[in-house]
Amino acid sequence: MVTYETDGQDAYKVRLSIKTALGANAYEWNESEQFLFRATLAFAMRKYTGQETFNVSSVIVCDETPRVSFWFVVTNPNNTATLIPKNAVEEAVRLSRNRINSAFLLSDKTLQFLGIPPTLAPPSQPSLPVWLIVFGVVMGIVTTGILALIIIGFIQRKKKEKTIEDEDEEEKQERIMENGISCETLEGKDGVNNGAYSHDEDRLTQL
Amino acid sequence: MVEDSRPSWENPMQFVLACVSYAVGLGNVWRFPYLCQMHGGGGFLIPYLIMLVVEGLPLFYLELAIGQHMRQGSIGAWSAINPYMGGVGIASVVVSIFLTIYYNVINAWAFWYLFHSFQGTLPWAECPLSSNLTTYVPECEKSSSTDYFWYRETLNISSSIEDHGGIQMGQALCLVLSWMVVYLCVLRGTEATGKVVYFTATFPYLVMIIYLIRGVTLHGALNGLKYMFTPKLSDLADPKAWIDAATQILFSLGLGCGSLIAFASYNHHNNNFEKQAIVVSLINSATSIFASLVTFSIYGFKATFNYESCLDRTQLLLINTFDLTEDSIKPDNLDDWISHLNASFPDKFATISSQIEGCDLESELDTAVEGTGLAFIVYSEAIKNMGLSQLWSVLYFSMLLMLGIGSMLGNVAAIITPLRDSAFLTRHFRKETLIGMMCLFCCLVGLSFTTRSGNYWFTIFNDYAATFSLLFIVLIEIITICYVYGLKKFEKDIELMIGHRPHWYWKITWSVVSPVLIIGLFIFYTADYIMGGTPTYQAWDSNLGKTVTKEYPPYAQAVIGLLLVTSMICVPLVALITFIKKKKEQAKESKIITTAT
Repeated sequence: MVTYETDGQDAYKVRLSIKTALGANAYEWNESEQFLFRATLAFAMRKYTGQETFNVSSVIVCDETPRVSFWFVVTNPNNTATLIPKNAVEEAVRLSRNRINSAFLLSDKTLQFLGIPPTLAPPSQPSLPVWLIVFGVVMGIVTTGILALIIIGFIQRKKKEKTIEDEDEEEKQERIMENGISCETLEGKDGVNNGAYSHDEDRLTQL
Repeated sequence: MVEDSRPSWENPMQFVLACVSYAVGLGNVWRFPYLCQMHGGGGFLIPYLIMLVVEGLPLFYLELAIGQHMRQGSIGAWSAINPYMGGVGIASVVVSIFLTIYYNVINAWAFWYLFHSFQGTLPWAECPLSSNLTTYVPECEKSSSTDYFWYRETLNISSSIEDHGGIQMGQALCLVLSWMVVYLCVLRGTEATGKVVYFTATFPYLVMIIYLIRGVTLHGALNGLKYMFTPKLSDLADPKAWIDAATQILFSLGLGCGSLIAFASYNHHNNNFEKQAIVVSLINSATSIFASLVTFSIYGFKATFNYESCLDRTQLLLINTFDLTEDSIKPDNLDDWISHLNASFPDKFATISSQIEGCDLESELDTAVEGTGLAFIVYSEAIKNMGLSQLWSVLYFSMLLMLGIGSMLGNVAAIITPLRDSAFLTRHFRKETLIGMMCLFCCLVGLSFTTRSGNYWFTIFNDYAATFSLLFIVLIEIITICYVYGLKKFEKDIELMIGHRPHWYWKITWSVVSPVLIIGLFIFYTADYIMGGTPTYQAWDSNLGKTVTKEYPPYAQAVIGLLLVTSMICVPLVALITFIKKKKEQAKESKIITTAT
């Protein structure tokens, strides 16, 4: 019978938060669940070391609390007096962490191995950041809008200039007809002397 | 005929919406709720509404009257009112230039957040992982994921204003886009933006209504609303509340920048601006109050969320340390448990006592934030905890964009209208080229705000470029109209436009009440600045994960001084130049007379 102390060199503390994880569907933690835990851990050791000698009896659990936390150690199947060193246990757990979590319907946060940090899932990085795509779309729309407005303004200005030119032409045409009298006839004569308005003889008052 | 060839709004509604779009801006959303919180909640409405009626409305009316009568931008209008006072117009344009340069950076940030909202999980919802994939980045853990996204991933802020760093490509791209959007809206001339303002003025209200409905249904929103509406009338005895109310009204309506004069100059001569002035001012204040409703429900939600998370953390700490069953500690018996455990296991309790944070809902609600901190950190934190956060994020940042672009259109109009009034410039450049060159210039200067220390320079501009100078400009405006141009003459001009003389109430506020108020504000701020010692700023410390107070270096203080002086000095300078010119002309005339006889 191996005795060990909790907080010992090769022991790990495990904490489960079943009610937090599952709420109304939480299961009761009992002897059978404990059995499953020891079996899963034995599986993890088998997978890591490749030795198929690990058994449920290799995993020893003690100090269970109502929190649902306990300490465990793994004994060497070849020599049950010695314990598997801490690093090996840690690596084994990390390797099969997902399988252990799934067995209990828990996650890294709700099934904690104190001292073994969880491997957090890296966020997916798409080849091109999404924001650049949206940026490109908006930039394209705005550029098209600006070019369209500038071209429309240009076309409108050309049209205005053309209508002004046409108006000038018409004005010139009209100017040639002034008051119904053709300018050519006016230019020809020097004007008509209207005798009613000339008083050459009367310029000097008579004495 | 000059009158017929000046372009005009298609209909008076466009003018009203343009004014609303300009006046209703980010300040309504991020400054007014903060002031409410600082000055006793609902009680702040009392000084605010009094100041609106006594100071805001009359000044708004005044500027619209000037613009509509003179039918020119601010430079031409003030030169026409009195040749010596032409400097007021130039000062307005200078302030508007500063304003346009830094204000569009906010739109760039809004674009950045908007584009980043199109992701599965919002990037500010989680901390990024460190390189060994076992922990989060330390800077993020010490602060929060929203702080980290703002300070590190958006701004990539340096630790002090002296540390310039390079231009951040993401920010620069968004800034260029913001300027292109502004150019798109104004390139056909200010009067053509009449179509754009239909959208920029109305869309924010749509979003605010949706947010209000969602906001009041959030868990804990009522805590925030209760906090806002219980007036603490004792806070009204503090003069700071009245000063803040007066200042907020002035800046919220956008007086003194020349934008209102520019907009009104495109009106028909007989447009009834009196009614419109009252309508726009009331809409602006109503929007501020409406926005605080939304903001306080969001505050309540966030505070309650943080409070309950704090309780959860404390509960977890206790049950983990003492190995109690999971659901033994509930929020209502938390305090009992703490005292029980402290009494029963004092040693063990002492080991964790430093980690026990006192969870208090009041102190969570008391954390008042304003400005970019409110808009980009507090709101995004609340949004990440809402269901369907991508949708809410897109809505919110689109709203911020509309508010910002609406105000930008007004700022740009204040600069472009005087430029296009200048015969010299119009002869040599087409309007698209002129407007384009102005946008390009402001964009290039604005790139300096996208460097790593850019946010510190932004704060300088935000605090000093358009605050003190605007008070000065508005004061000179009102004194010029009442005492230099003459109130009687002004009354007659208004009668010509809208058919009746202004009510005696307007005349009293123009000639006595408003000048006295503004002089009071002026004296207060000057005294505050002189007695305040070296101005300081909040610098982000990446090692601590929070902001620390630092003093501005001498060259930054010189920039502050320059910002204040360059606009205000235009007034006396132009008066002096005009005086010298007139003296020279008089001397020339008397010489001609003497040589002729």
